[in-house]
Amino acid sequence: MHELSLAQSLLEQLLELAGKHQAARVTRVVVTLGPFSGIVQDSFAFGFNILKAERPATRDAVLDMETPDPEYICLECNKVALIPFPRQSERLDLARHGLAARKCPWCGSNRLSPQGGTELILNQVEME
Amino acid sequence: MCDTCGCQLHEHHHHDPKVVEVNQSLLAANVQQAMSNRQHIEKMGAVAINLISSPGSGKTTLLERTIEAMRDTVRIGVIEGDIETERDAERIRAKGVPAVQLTTGGACHLDAPLVHGGLHVLEHFAKGAGYDLIFIENVGNLVCPATFDLGEHIRVVLLSVPEGSDKPAKYPATFKGADLVLLTKVDLLPYFDFSMEEVRKEAGLLKPDLELMALSATSGEGFDAWLSFLDRRLNR
Ligand SMILES: Nc1nc2c(ncn2[C@@H]2O[C@H](COP(=O)(O)OP(=O)(O)OP(=O)(O)O)[C@@H](O)[C@H]2O)c(=O)[nH]1
Ligand SMILES: [Mg+2]
Ligand SMILES: [Zn+2]
Ligand SMILES: [Zn+2]
Ligand SMILES: [Zn+2]
Ligand SMILES: [Zn+2]
Repeated sequence: MHELSLAQSLLEQLLELAGKHQAARVTRVVVTLGPFSGIVQDSFAFGFNILKAERPATRDAVLDMETPDPEYICLECNKVALIPFPRQSERLDLARHGLAARKCPWCGSNRLSPQGGTELILNQVEME
Repeated sequence: MCDTCGCQLHEHHHHDPKVVEVNQSLLAANVQQAMSNRQHIEKMGAVAINLISSPGSGKTTLLERTIEAMRDTVRIGVIEGDIETERDAERIRAKGVPAVQLTTGGACHLDAPLVHGGLHVLEHFAKGAGYDLIFIENVGNLVCPATFDLGEHIRVVLLSVPEGSDKPAKYPATFKGADLVLLTKVDLLPYFDFSMEEVRKEAGLLKPDLELMALSATSGEGFDAWLSFLDRRLNR
């Protein structure tokens, strides 16, 4: 929902880091967007790529996004379930086949409670 | 001009690639500002409460009734967050309490830098008198506000009866972040298929020690418990 303002604050962090390390430009950025952070990868990349062009120091920065598989606890059988997060493009296909609801791989229940996964982290920056 | 990249900055930059491990939250700037807001609020002697809910769950009405009950004994200030309009701040001012309206210009949540500005305005309104209790009414939204610490001491999430008792299960991050869940509009329980038990159960799974209260601003039911909760949390 607020991908654009998050991309803006990432770019501010990059400019500050580039200044601190006396680098002229940022070439690559690695971020982790938690699966329950509410941030959609495609929207975040869209905002980042528009805003990065405003400054020469970030113009060529390539954005690498990592989203770990979401972890759930099944409320029926109490087991931990790691279920791969569908990409934006796969969601409609899943819905079409009635498979949008995530199910516990152990007992088939859909009563899954998300664990953690709200992190938004700037991991690594390459600059020169 | 530099041959490698064509830039004009020849003297003071170099082209050796450098990899820096940062491992810093993307919200670092907000987190820092929130910490300084909290200090600012404490210096004023106040306790701050961040009210989060979907649009229309009864945040402003709760504030109106709370102010009526407490204004003679507690110095209250209110920061109102909305995308547009001054309406909520006007409703609060009509109760005789200073209110700052922050409009986000489209953003779906308040953040700490915005609230920082609001605190300074509120301080100006007090003319040196100070506050005991500062309410921050967030933008009506059950998703985004959960991510942004504003510098509050207590986070209250409101859930009104017409919204349905499945909301904690559907918006886990928001309810997990709450210090208190307030079920509002309980005068409407007879007309809705709302299960108090479901809320209690789902909220308990998210956070076992989550405090839960139910009230109605219309009938006044449950209000005493809310007022004494506030009273216990004041710095007096
Ligand atoms: N029946 C009933 N209605 C209520 C109660 N509290 C609030 N309302 C009504 O709910 C509607 C919305 O109330 P507000 O207090 O404006 O809600 P809000 O959460 O501040 O709304 P936004 O700021 O737009 O997000 C109004 O019509 C209120 O009169 C209650 O306890 N019982
Ligand atoms: Mg309101
Ligand atoms: Zn299971
Ligand atoms: Zn150069
Ligand atoms: Zn938002
Ligand atoms: Zn200040």
